[in-house]
Amino acid sequence: MESFWVALKAIFVKDVIVELRARQVLPTMVVLGMLIVYILRLVSEPASGAAPLVGAAALWVAFLFCGLLAQERSFAAEQHQGCMDGLLLAPCDPGTIYLAKLCVNVVVLCVFEVIIVPVVLIVFRLSVGARWPDLLAVLLLGNIGISSVGTLFSAAVQLARTRGSLLSIIVLVILMPLMVPATFALLVLFGALPEEVGGSGSLAFVGSFKAAAGYMLAFDAVFVVACWLLFAVVVEE
Amino acid sequence: MTLCVRSVSKRFAARRVLNNIDLDLDGGQALCLCGANGAGKSTLLRVIAGLLRPDNGSLALDGYDVRKDCERYKRRLGVISHASMIYAELTVRENLAFAAALHGMRKPAARVEELLNDTALAAFRHDRAGILSRGLLQRLAIARALLHRPGLLLADEPFTGLDNEATALLVSLFRRFVDDGGAIVIVTHDVRLGLECCQRVAVLDAGRFRLDAMKTDIDCDRFAQDYLSYARNDSWNRSGSH
Repeated sequence: MESFWVALKAIFVKDVIVELRARQVLPTMVVLGMLIVYILRLVSEPASGAAPLVGAAALWVAFLFCGLLAQERSFAAEQHQGCMDGLLLAPCDPGTIYLAKLCVNVVVLCVFEVIIVPVVLIVFRLSVGARWPDLLAVLLLGNIGISSVGTLFSAAVQLARTRGSLLSIIVLVILMPLMVPATFALLVLFGALPEEVGGSGSLAFVGSFKAAAGYMLAFDAVFVVACWLLFAVVVEE
Repeated sequence: MTLCVRSVSKRFAARRVLNNIDLDLDGGQALCLCGANGAGKSTLLRVIAGLLRPDNGSLALDGYDVRKDCERYKRRLGVISHASMIYAELTVRENLAFAAALHGMRKPAARVEELLNDTALAAFRHDRAGILSRGLLQRLAIARALLHRPGLLLADEPFTGLDNEATALLVSLFRRFVDDGGAIVIVTHDVRLGLECCQRVAVLDAGRFRLDAMKTDIDCDRFAQDYLSYARNDSWNRSGSH
């Protein structure tokens, strides 16, 4: 068990140092994120009442695409100079590599969120009042869900030497069950939806803010465990 | 240290790359593995390293199976491959410290310093690996492979990119490793250099061993001139040495 924590910490610290020195991922994410926010802000200008709706969309679209960008890089860097082989030769479970990469991707996305969330709140003139803890919880749950699936598929795509678009398409499809409650939760927090919604449609299916948070938590738990177990199969050859 | 490879086969799609390979290697032995391009040398090394799963057969290192006792197996293994497995953004020392942490080494500082001196990299310890020349990078890759004191060292073309001085340094490191009871499998196209380091030679041809003999049992000059013809002609076998 001790070797698990030592290896996890070593890979995590290594990745953070490499990113701090190379500065490849975060600047690209911020530029792409700002671009997404700017375009969606332009779209929402003609209808001032649409700001909460478009603001929620801007946040999740930015997190999704910028998250995938970061996750794709996380294993691309390991392919350089055969570093992935170096990790796999270590006497630790391959799942440790997955969890370390997942932690790094969650942290990178958290840093990105720290930059992009205030920007979205300001440009769309949104407020969550006293519900900051709820907003942080929803963002963290979304972050973990996006990173769990993205990290696994990043490894699969890089090791299969298939580049780029395939990862985004598959991951986006898998993440849809997370995005529905995630969008619902943000719409409630931004005041665009009441705490509970009835009727028909995807958002009505979610039902309430608490249920949305529950769905997100369940998605994260299932996919973190599933992806952790599948990682050994993915990197087998 | 004992490596035991039994009936290992490996296919890539319809192509059989390794065909029922058996190999035993004890501590204190260095094996020079030769073969033409595509003969299966690197695949065999990757299978032994546990990076590729064989279609059949078994592998054990000191009795630890590559699948069932994967962690103990890997603790006994060091690998020098075509790629350096080195991070360009980390310094020389950080790369070794990272490898030490991955192998669960406690207080590795002394061992890191020892290897920096052995590989003549001490002066570069605070330099980023990304600015090192090919030869220095290869030395760092060698230090990384030896860091956790493996029992078996797998070296795929370890002399590539090294100048004469660095080659001599590497040969002496290999000799010391074998004298200390370790075993090495060296894959190289530089047969003379391989013969200089090893007591045993093997020739892999189309996924099978054509020759597996002690250096003292073959005509080294003829072998070095054209090892493939030498192995295929079976002249080593007719001499009654194997």
